[in-house]
Amino acid sequence: MDKIIIDGMSFTLPLFIMAIGGICCERSGITNLAVEGLSGMGAFAGALAAYIAVKQLGLGYAQAHVAALLFSMVGGMLLAMVHALMCIRFKANQVVSGVVINLLSQALTIFLVKTINSTVFGRPSDQIDLEVSTRFTVPGISSIPVIGAFFRNVYPFEVFIILVSVVVWYLLYRTGFGLHLRASGDNPHALDAAGVNVSVVRFKACVLSGALCGIGGICFAYSISAQFSSDYYVGYGYLAIAALIFGNWNFMPTLAACLIFGFSRSLGYQAVQWAQLPSAWSDLIMILPYAMTLLLLVFFSKTNHAPRALGVIYDKSER
Amino acid sequence: MMNDMTGEEIIVEMRGITKKFPGIVANDDVSISIKKGEIFAILGENGAGKSTLMSILYGMYEPDSGEIFIRGKKETISSPNYASSLNIGMVHQHFMLVSDYTIAENIILGTEPGAKALGFIPFVDMKRAEREVKELSEEYGLSVDPGMIISEAPVSVRQRVEILKMLYRKAEILIFDEPTAVLTPQEIESLLNIIKNLRDGGKTVILITHKLDEIKKVADRCAILQRGRLMGVLDVPSTDTSTMVKLMVGREMDLAVEKGPFTPGKEVLKVEDLTVKNSDGVTLVNDVSFTVHSGEIFAIAGVSGNGQTEIADAVAGLLKASSGRITLNGVDITGSSIRKRVETGLSYVPEDRHNVGMILDLELRDALIIRKYYLPPFQNNGILNRAEAETYADRLIEDYDIRCSRGGETVTRSMSGGNQQKAIIAREIDMDRELAVFVQPTRGLDVGAINHIHRQIVRERDRGKAILLISLELDEVMALADTIGVIYSGRMEKIAGADKLSPHDVGEYMMGVGKK
Repeated sequence: MDKIIIDGMSFTLPLFIMAIGGICCERSGITNLAVEGLSGMGAFAGALAAYIAVKQLGLGYAQAHVAALLFSMVGGMLLAMVHALMCIRFKANQVVSGVVINLLSQALTIFLVKTINSTVFGRPSDQIDLEVSTRFTVPGISSIPVIGAFFRNVYPFEVFIILVSVVVWYLLYRTGFGLHLRASGDNPHALDAAGVNVSVVRFKACVLSGALCGIGGICFAYSISAQFSSDYYVGYGYLAIAALIFGNWNFMPTLAACLIFGFSRSLGYQAVQWAQLPSAWSDLIMILPYAMTLLLLVFFSKTNHAPRALGVIYDKSER
Repeated sequence: MMNDMTGEEIIVEMRGITKKFPGIVANDDVSISIKKGEIFAILGENGAGKSTLMSILYGMYEPDSGEIFIRGKKETISSPNYASSLNIGMVHQHFMLVSDYTIAENIILGTEPGAKALGFIPFVDMKRAEREVKELSEEYGLSVDPGMIISEAPVSVRQRVEILKMLYRKAEILIFDEPTAVLTPQEIESLLNIIKNLRDGGKTVILITHKLDEIKKVADRCAILQRGRLMGVLDVPSTDTSTMVKLMVGREMDLAVEKGPFTPGKEVLKVEDLTVKNSDGVTLVNDVSFTVHSGEIFAIAGVSGNGQTEIADAVAGLLKASSGRITLNGVDITGSSIRKRVETGLSYVPEDRHNVGMILDLELRDALIIRKYYLPPFQNNGILNRAEAETYADRLIEDYDIRCSRGGETVTRSMSGGNQQKAIIAREIDMDRELAVFVQPTRGLDVGAINHIHRQIVRERDRGKAILLISLELDEVMALADTIGVIYSGRMEKIAGADKLSPHDVGEYMMGVGKK
């Protein structure tokens, strides 16, 4: 039972922060199918930073973690700027731009991993190894039955994700920038008429999205495989997009969708172990979140209501 | 700057404004000066250059030549933002509102009152915003609820929000672009009062319109544009309407329509106990019965939203009848498909010409055959015959005076609203069906186009067609109808011959206070 909760949360939260990244971008009116690619770039940049911090600079794990998180954001932001540039400056098709960024990110990061490993670190390898992240247990609360498991063996990044998501929620719903961002996804003409530069708002939203996806990426890299390689790209970015759509582009329902995905996955793994099924079955379990996606699609599609200007290229002259 | 003649302050002066678009001169050397604290109307037909002129003043277009002086100072107004800083505000024809936001959020958007939580975390002070919006709305008699979500607000409230947006930005010069086009008669009355309040509060109001009666009611002076040229600036109280019409359209206009005698023939449309409910189960049309005969214009009068559009949609097959029977030419069409109804004898000019009436991205020749593209000669063995469509389009363009820059190849989106409507009416009338349903056929059109369409409708009636006309304009109903049905709250309150009802009677039934 504990294992289900602990594993469930360590899958749910990175997925959630990526979904928030998607929300930030899409609520501004720009379709973001690039979540997978942005998170991959974040994972790559973060993993590289952590590796350099530990292996080359001899820093401690805590510093390595901080470096990993910071650089994952930078990596995600840089790639997100490409998406923003394509969608805003060049008015490109947002779906195509997103998909191409996913392909680009995958090819580029794998190439860079191999090249940097062999030329800089002098060890031919197609992955960047990460130290296994330390975990901590909150004294006191963690001994409560069942609920206590939420406070046991917690990855530090889980706390970071919760803090960041609160800050982003505040930014979106309580500040002027958030008001502009959401207006830009509903009726950019109204925002423009109010004297706010729609392109600038969307650009910022896109870059913010990249940073959040990057955080999600490095957290996955730490929690799932403790390394970064081509194995990273299994489609969690798309799962995050599904979660935010089920969540109707709102925070709490999206969190609920992420929890369903996270827990169905950890529950499935445990079920395989309890039933002592052959290991091939755990591969089958990998598809559980995706199967859940299809199932949820049946129920949530009717009540869905996307930002009105989502995916519409903003053109001042068009009425 | 003081005007020597009158001693009144000139707040806006536009000198020699010329603006050309590809293929058209929208403004040709137009000069106007507007006094502080007056209601200045700009009158002209659709396409006369009124909106262009005001868009230049509001910084949306740059003039090719000419100068603008605001409060006597020469200004280059390069953006709406800059216009706003000169205290110029504009209510556009298409409202620019965020539908998910509350009224207060929409009003403060872009100029949010900020505050700092704990002294350093910035946030938008919504409490203060709502209070300010409330105070402002009370000051000018624009009652709105600041917490209401825009998507739930009726059109008239959305318009008030647009006005409040300008006032919140301290606008002194208020431009209204065709503000009454979207309103019901009652709402128009209340808007005109608001406009007067604004003037009495010291604001300068510029009113773009093609409705003479509104100008007569509120405006102090009016400039008349025709095909981009300024025809004159008139003092409204001392000028009669026919002079204005003459300057506006360049010819004398007969506003009344000539009709032949009323000789009803056989029953064409029979609606019995029709009830229509929406998806939430709310009854929109409640047990309505009427018949329309050939050679008769049956007009349904009523205030917007009382179920009249739903009757038309149920007859045309766009909405399903919950109960009741609809018979067309003796055939029960209650459950028929739209195509079956059309083939039985229906043509339909819907209210929403952009979403239901036509496909705006089609070229005109395709838009005109959309009802019969599947029939010979337009199609043979599944292949469209382009040449036939081309010839057909040329004939309709000629017969119905549809003005389009590139003939059958004109993309309908690029045509003016009046000509789009003429195209729809041409398409429907030319199908030569026994019943023609017209919903708000002249909504938002100028005098010339309205007159043209009215003559078409009467000609069809005189040719023995049955006409079901649904209109929110009482004048239109009174001018055209042989028989009037008045709808209120989904019920048919009264059906009587047009000669037996005065506009006053109809108005009472429309408000639900008529004698039974």
